[in-house]
Amino acid sequence: MPKRIVDWLDLRLGIRDILEQNLTKYLLPRNINIWYTLGAVLLTLFALQFATGILLLIYYQPSPQEAFSSVQRIMNEIPYGWLLRNLHAVGSNLIVAVLLLHMLSALFMGSYKRPRELTWVSGFLLLNLSLGLCLTGYLLPWSQLSFWATTIATDAAGAIPLLGADLVGFLRGGTAVGEDTLGRFFALHVMGFPLLFGLLVAFHLFCVRRTGVSKPPFGPDYTPPKEHDRFHHEHHPGGIPFFPHYMAKEAGVISFFLALLVAITFFAPGLFIPPTANIPADPFVTPPGIKPEWYFLWAYQVLKIFPSELMGLAVQVVAMTLLALLPFIDRSPERRPARRPLFVALFICGIAIFVGLSIWGYFS
Amino acid sequence: MIHILGRTWGLLLFLLFLPTDVSAQQNQDETVCIQCHGGIPGAIGAPVRQWQGSIHQRHGVLCFHCHGGDPTDFGLAHSPERGFLGAPGDEDVPKFCGRCHVGVTEDYFESAHGQALGAGGPNCVTCHGSHAVQRATSELINPQDCTRCHEYGRAEEIKNAIAGTEAFISSLEGDVAALHRLGIDTSRLEGSIFSVRNEFRRLFHSVDVERVRNETDNFQQQLGVIAGQVEALQAELARRKVWGGAVVVLLILAGVLSLLLYKSYMEGKEG
Ligand code: HEC
Ligand code: HEC
Ligand code: HEC
Ligand code: HEC
Ligand code: HEC
Ligand code: HEM
Repeated sequence: MPKRIVDWLDLRLGIRDILEQNLTKYLLPRNINIWYTLGAVLLTLFALQFATGILLLIYYQPSPQEAFSSVQRIMNEIPYGWLLRNLHAVGSNLIVAVLLLHMLSALFMGSYKRPRELTWVSGFLLLNLSLGLCLTGYLLPWSQLSFWATTIATDAAGAIPLLGADLVGFLRGGTAVGEDTLGRFFALHVMGFPLLFGLLVAFHLFCVRRTGVSKPPFGPDYTPPKEHDRFHHEHHPGGIPFFPHYMAKEAGVISFFLALLVAITFFAPGLFIPPTANIPADPFVTPPGIKPEWYFLWAYQVLKIFPSELMGLAVQVVAMTLLALLPFIDRSPERRPARRPLFVALFICGIAIFVGLSIWGYFS
Repeated sequence: MIHILGRTWGLLLFLLFLPTDVSAQQNQDETVCIQCHGGIPGAIGAPVRQWQGSIHQRHGVLCFHCHGGDPTDFGLAHSPERGFLGAPGDEDVPKFCGRCHVGVTEDYFESAHGQALGAGGPNCVTCHGSHAVQRATSELINPQDCTRCHEYGRAEEIKNAIAGTEAFISSLEGDVAALHRLGIDTSRLEGSIFSVRNEFRRLFHSVDVERVRNETDNFQQQLGVIAGQVEALQAELARRKVWGGAVVVLLILAGVLSLLLYKSYMEGKEG
């Protein structure tokens, strides 16, 4: 029976050919390493995030009066609601961690370089969009934590000269975080950002497939690919087939990440859900020690260490812009880390600064 | 339940209006009472500093909730027409606090202490203070404070009589806080513990060892019911962990198998 369905479709769409070209006959470099599986890990985690998100949406109520109690209901009354909610919350944190690892591996192996500039830029936009999804999702439970973290985060925009106050008002839909902030964050979180996200992921994957996966710049037989003046798909003759070889490896790594996700969800959900997340929002009582989530701590600390918030903000914008445009700044074709000492030194400094600022932000 | 509600109505009524009062808490410094008194040295300003950080301050109970008066108007702050009561004399204190702490005050008046009010008996402020009031615990019963007027013997007896139930209450409170930490809705449990605790702690104010012992069983039973609900929740959480653990193990197995499969493919290709 399945064979007949495939035959029927094959006759009309030629799907056997598509599958062959993209699975068994799609060859990847022989020395492809574990870091290349992170993209597939991200796809899986995002798929899970969409699934749990849609199910949460059935019961969630986006209004200040009902948001918190609807989440309480999900956690306490809806069968397996607690599981969905904790998976979604823990999953978002895991995704950010994997995104950072994916980006770091692209940096270290120089795979952002020509001809993969567009892959990099679209990936960088995806990173920002993912952080946007985290930020907007954070407000939705309407807890003390979400309310005050959002207040602090949107306050930062006020440091911009001239436009600042208007921008804060635009982000919040009013002078203070309130009903209209919840409305716009909700719309962005469940519709706006996911739509954009879907389009961007499609483009990112298209870039990856079209240019061909880069050869890891390691080992004695690595030779830099020739520069081409016209479009060229990077082939890997004698490589390993995507299916079943490489997919088995991906399935393995995905399973480990899912195991990590489930382990945190069941055994340490408090790791990413602090106590103030269980108290309903109260605009009149500022709880002590509100901190943004771990992946925003660096930015939070940068705002604090500079004499003015504007300077801090400017530093962030410069850093992010440099990163976004990196392939157009660092244009040498060399990808082997051993031959890029300056880059590797900057790379390590960058990670150290990020980690250092985050820890500082956590304890300050 | 109705019975318990009736007895603690004063507090509950107050807590009901708390949301508006907590908004005042943000603007506490804006009440004229605190602005003016805070700036006066000596006995007239001291209450402000003592009251900061007290249980009342943390729950939004401000100067005018106890003393009356108009907190928004410098001129009328002390006006009796606006309900200003002034500072109560020693014998008036129990009624003064009793507007909110109804049950406690009831038991107090029936007790040897309440009977001796004005004749060497302690009033509320003797034991709790008037402004620096903190959450009450059985630590308030100690050889230092209770021997000012008589020997410690009977005080110690009553402390022992309440110790078991006190320990039960605080262990339950700890368990419930841990559940709440995990996102479990514990408001009903907290409510039940709150009323039992209120009911039980007013009992101390009777300073009647026999009565405390007689009623202890009743309280233990009520707490037992709550403990049962807590244990059911804990058991549910433990069950979830078993399932979660099983899924983790399965996923790790799946991961290992996939990588072995990958290895075998690669060797097949080599060979
Ligand atoms: C303009 C300054 C000012 C304001 C406003 C003010 N007080 Fe006073 N208060 C005083 C001074 C001065 C005294 C001591 C002299 C006296 O008894 O009038 C005092 C005395 C008191 C006393 C002790 C009275 C007694 O019988 O011993 C109480 C209680 C008191 N104030 C409560 C309040 C409360 C409650 C408010 C706010 C509703 C308030 N005050 C507002 C200045 C102020
Ligand atoms: C929980 C109720 C309560 C609250 C709240 C409270 N008081 Fe009092 N206050 C009392 C009692 C009872 C007395 C009298 C017993 C005493 O002298 O200790 C008193 C006495 C005073 C006195 C007279 C002190 C003296 O030595 O003559 C002043 C003044 C006073 N309060 C001001 C304030 C101010 C200002 C605030 C707000 C910061 C305040 N009170 C809040 C209960 C309260
Ligand atoms: C306006 C109402 C009001 C008045 C008057 C009042 N209280 Fe309170 N009191 C409260 C509230 C509200 C709380 C916090 C609720 C709670 O945790 O029990 C509280 C808490 C307390 C506590 C701690 C209870 C605990 O859980 O350990 C003590 C002790 C206390 N009050 C003593 C006093 C004394 C003594 C007076 C008189 C000087 C007084 N109160 C007057 C409202 C009041
Ligand atoms: C301000 C003085 C004073 C203080 C302080 C005081 N008491 Fe008393 N107490 C009395 C008086 C007066 C009586 C009644 C006469 C008597 O039985 O000695 C009494 C009686 C008692 C009784 C006997 C009741 C009965 O029915 O036989 C107990 C028990 C008691 N107090 C416990 C305490 C405890 C516990 C403390 C400390 C938290 C304390 N008292 C602090 C004055 C005080
Ligand atoms: C002899 C000292 C003494 C006197 C007098 C006294 N208390 Fe207490 N109070 C205590 C002690 C001790 C506790 C803690 C009892 C316990 O842990 O079971 C307590 C507990 C409380 C509580 C906490 C109840 C709860 O639910 O946690 C309140 C409220 C309170 N007292 C108010 C008052 C008021 C109002 C008066 C005056 C009518 C008063 N007390 C008189 C010693 C005293
Ligand atoms: C929403 C999140 C993302 C998804 C779902 C995703 C998905 C993928 C996938 C499936 C691949 C191919 C396999 C691999 O090399 O891992 C890939 C490659 C790549 N990604 Fe991403 N990615 C995301 C975010 C990012 C980010 C944030 C960056 C960097 C800023 C980035 C940069 C790259 C680059 C440069 C490649 C090419 C790697 C190579 O061929 O060597 N991606 N991505």
